[in-house]
Amino acid sequence: MSDPIRGQTAICGLGITEMGKVYGHDASWFAGESIRLAVEDAGLQKDDIDGLLVNPGITGMMGTGISIPLQGYLGLRNLRLLNHMNSFGATASAMVQYAAFAVHHGMANYVACIFSDAPLQQGGSAGAAYGGAGRRGPTGMASLMPAFGFYGANTSYALAARRYMERYGVTNNDLGRVSVTQRRYAVDNPHATMRQPLTLEDYHNSRWIVEPFHLLDCCLVSNGAVCTIVTTAERARDLKSSPAYVWGMGQGHPGNFPHAEVEVGTTSGATIAGETAYKMAGVGPEDVDICEFYDCYTYTVLRTIEDYGLAKPGDAIGLYPEDPADPEAELPAINTGGGQLSSYYMWGMTPISEGVIQARGSGGDRQIEKNDIVLCSGNGGTLDTHGTLILSPNAN
Amino acid sequence: MAYDKPLPNPDENTQPFFDGLQEHKLLLQYFPSADHYQYPYSDRCYKDWSTDWEWRESAGNGEVYTWVRMHQLYHPSWKAEIPYTLAVVQLDEGPRMHTNLVNVPVEDVHVGMRVKVHFDDVTDEVTLPKFEPA
Repeated sequence: MSDPIRGQTAICGLGITEMGKVYGHDASWFAGESIRLAVEDAGLQKDDIDGLLVNPGITGMMGTGISIPLQGYLGLRNLRLLNHMNSFGATASAMVQYAAFAVHHGMANYVACIFSDAPLQQGGSAGAAYGGAGRRGPTGMASLMPAFGFYGANTSYALAARRYMERYGVTNNDLGRVSVTQRRYAVDNPHATMRQPLTLEDYHNSRWIVEPFHLLDCCLVSNGAVCTIVTTAERARDLKSSPAYVWGMGQGHPGNFPHAEVEVGTTSGATIAGETAYKMAGVGPEDVDICEFYDCYTYTVLRTIEDYGLAKPGDAIGLYPEDPADPEAELPAINTGGGQLSSYYMWGMTPISEGVIQARGSGGDRQIEKNDIVLCSGNGGTLDTHGTLILSPNAN
Repeated sequence: MAYDKPLPNPDENTQPFFDGLQEHKLLLQYFPSADHYQYPYSDRCYKDWSTDWEWRESAGNGEVYTWVRMHQLYHPSWKAEIPYTLAVVQLDEGPRMHTNLVNVPVEDVHVGMRVKVHFDDVTDEVTLPKFEPA
């Protein structure tokens, strides 16, 4: 039993800018590029856009991110929907969800959902871009974190990963299998930043960041933007590009890390979000053809697979080949563009953008043949927030 | 050599906690209406939203909830320590604390390891609540 909104809305336009170490532009510029590309992709005109939702990425915390003034920068007039949204990595799916409900009920016709970020500075490190942002001069008990030597998201996720790994006997080599698998996909993704093939040996030789994470367990940091345009299924049918119909939507937000009631490392919001989205779409884990999962770290992918019911707790690694670098090895249809680990880090727009590409069948050499149900996840904080989209090439 | 790592920066609400550390006492907020110990500081109980609470001394016992080895240098003062061991300790009273593990070889560290608080007087004015094997 699905919900009547299943297949009634769609992503009709996708704009992906140049990604990675692209210097000399701010987040507004990237946002402008992404909406220009998305409008062109959909075969629309600028004035067709009557809704704008923005998510500023890490530059939002640095004070240089996109926000409501983007409307003026883009010269969009008489919008019927406008908001700056932020539930961290879950925002992209939340924007598409809000846009879907809005177009379904006639509040707007074409809503542009934009993630844009430009944290990388020429000569600066990716770690500096993320580790330092918004964390200057904490007071009170928060000031104990730097006093103990805790810095950045790498540390928080490594803490979660360690608990998961000790609980289920998952090893660094297992995490490496995820990393190498995704790189193989990235090799065939023209949007991807890292396209050199990897071996497990390369993985083990990459330096430690925060043990249990090597460098190749951690996502990239990217300058760039992604725009998706959401409209009704009826409108999407007649546009230039194939629609990715929205079948299911959900969110799940377990709560705060330090609270003893929250089991960190072995649960995420995907359980609640997934159940909600599956129910709306009238499908279950057994129907999923392709997964595009938020992969800030290799570990996050394994955790997410299990919380969506695609493997038993601790068993997600069983979906991966022993040596994914072996050309004969069959890869799971998970993060088919290389994900945030190897393609580009646009928070929740990384999985959604590849999800749209796969649902359209436009993935080129990396296209997965059976693409009826594409499950996309967004995840933010330290597994604190979660959003789900189920996309399909079929209206019903 | 003078201690050059980042030092805590107490505010009005958390000053008693930091004063307690100097006396080698680990103070937690206790909210009677929910019979709930809370850390880090908040002016409201997250269980029943009560704002009525008092400081109570923790027994300082708990277990390693999770842990990592930090290899990345974010602040120059840590250069000589890298890699160092960070942990989240679940206190027997309930709350979890981010902390350092000391006096234990890394090979012995594991989730579930019993630990007790170790007050480290890093300067004349500042004491940090670290943990060591019980």
